[in-house]
Amino acid sequence: MTQITINDVERAVQTAAATALQNIQYFSELDAAAGDADFGVSLGSGFKALQEQWDDLDRSSISSFLLKVSVLITSNVGGCSGPIWGTGFMRAGMLSKEKDELTLGDLAEMLAGSIDGIKKRGGAEEGDKTLLDALIPIQKVLADAAANDDDDTRKALQECTRVANEAIERTRDWTAKRGRQSFTGERSKGTVDPGIVAIATMLNDISAEFGVSESQ
Amino acid sequence: MKKFVNDPENFVAEMMEGVHLANPGMFNYEPKYNLISRADRPSPDHVSIVQGSGSGHEPAHIMAVGPGMLDAASPGGVFSAPPMDYCLECIKAMNSLKGVLVLINNYQGDRMNWDMAIEMAEAEGIDVKQFVIDDDVAVQDSSYTTGRRGVAGNFFVMKACGAAAEKGASLDELLELAAKVNGQVRSMGVALTSCTPPAKGTPIFDIGDDEIEVGVGIHGEPGRRRDKLVEADRILDEMYDAVAGDLPFESGDRVALMINGLGGTPISELYVLYRQAALRCKDTGLEIVRSYVGEYCTSLEMAGASLTLLRLDDELEELLAAPADCAVRVF
Repeated sequence: MTQITINDVERAVQTAAATALQNIQYFSELDAAAGDADFGVSLGSGFKALQEQWDDLDRSSISSFLLKVSVLITSNVGGCSGPIWGTGFMRAGMLSKEKDELTLGDLAEMLAGSIDGIKKRGGAEEGDKTLLDALIPIQKVLADAAANDDDDTRKALQECTRVANEAIERTRDWTAKRGRQSFTGERSKGTVDPGIVAIATMLNDISAEFGVSESQ
Repeated sequence: MKKFVNDPENFVAEMMEGVHLANPGMFNYEPKYNLISRADRPSPDHVSIVQGSGSGHEPAHIMAVGPGMLDAASPGGVFSAPPMDYCLECIKAMNSLKGVLVLINNYQGDRMNWDMAIEMAEAEGIDVKQFVIDDDVAVQDSSYTTGRRGVAGNFFVMKACGAAAEKGASLDELLELAAKVNGQVRSMGVALTSCTPPAKGTPIFDIGDDEIEVGVGIHGEPGRRRDKLVEADRILDEMYDAVAGDLPFESGDRVALMINGLGGTPISELYVLYRQAALRCKDTGLEIVRSYVGEYCTSLEMAGASLTLLRLDDELEELLAAPADCAVRVF
């Protein structure tokens, strides 16, 4: 597994969809601590729409697949999470045009684009206690691997999962500055951010799907 | 709350079908994306102007589609931003060689979905630009908005840009014009009652029989304060002072004056408000060149009204006077 194929991308997205659907209640409970308790339901409805149309998705290329995922996620995840998550997939799709397979360097570039897009869409920055605080360290793992000519995708996935899990506790005592959680201001201190937990949970499940364990 | 409604889930779709049926030959209607568009657009010689917000504000915006106004609208559900795919399909359907202008009222959900659709459309090679309208002076930030909200003043942006597009203005010229109108238009509303989205079935906020919400938003967002109901002229005075004092409008200005009903207030009451507004304009030395009294941007059956003032010049007067034909007609 040194190059990432469209099959790998599909498997990862399908796994993320399953994660979202299995954790509707859990993610909503997390959101209730400082938000409006609908994050799990919102995310779930988007990934449910994706699952329902799974067999009909455009699979002619990684790019067109990710763009189609983006449209479905954006249009079916309720509230502002739709355009935020959808923008992540959209930028990844735009930056993978004409690529049949992906290297870790490609992934790093795609995720950097996703991070920029999410910042632009939602106006959040690093440190605002949003999903960006999980995505940014993940992107760094991929960029570092690419910079070191390390093409061990399994090791990279393991490391990405580790930093995502780590982001949950690292940000716990931060004050949310963007998104619904920020409406409660200081009350968001001491609670975990549901978006960060969702990213980490998805990566844990994707690691399991590809037979990579965090302690490996 | 009693309503004319079948299955509440089909409320918006059935309304749109009604608009389509009532105007034979005028529109194309794509139910999958709540998309109403002019049958004779896109045209290679005209910029297309589109808008999509939540439903529940009719006639904004689907009934503002027609020659000299909007070219298409793709609303979301009642008080819900149009989903991104509606926005994207709307832009694609109206793709013109001269470009597409998207007018957006300043609400976070609308902005995010249109922003993203525009980015996707650009990636497909479509020349598309957006302009965000924020004419409501009531509050700086509110439930769904960072900055000021976009309310009835959007009518003037649509009307001026629609007239200019009809004459062949370029996309950049229309953007400049939209900025000019938005920079010179100010609004504020007052609610006497709440309203009930059909699928929700309950009022979106509570308000006492003797209370008013000063500076209410068109989705029932809180305004400046809750107050006791007083006589009409005093309510109008507060709206006028907030609006006229904001730009500020000054003696000698030529203006368009709009008294917009929020959905549940009779036309007679709107003219009672208009009377006092006209007297106040006279006192301030504002010359009313054009008047608009009726429903332009509503909040379902909310009783209430908003006041909008637009500072005019020769260019804007000519554009406002240009013919327009749309699904809203008052004879």
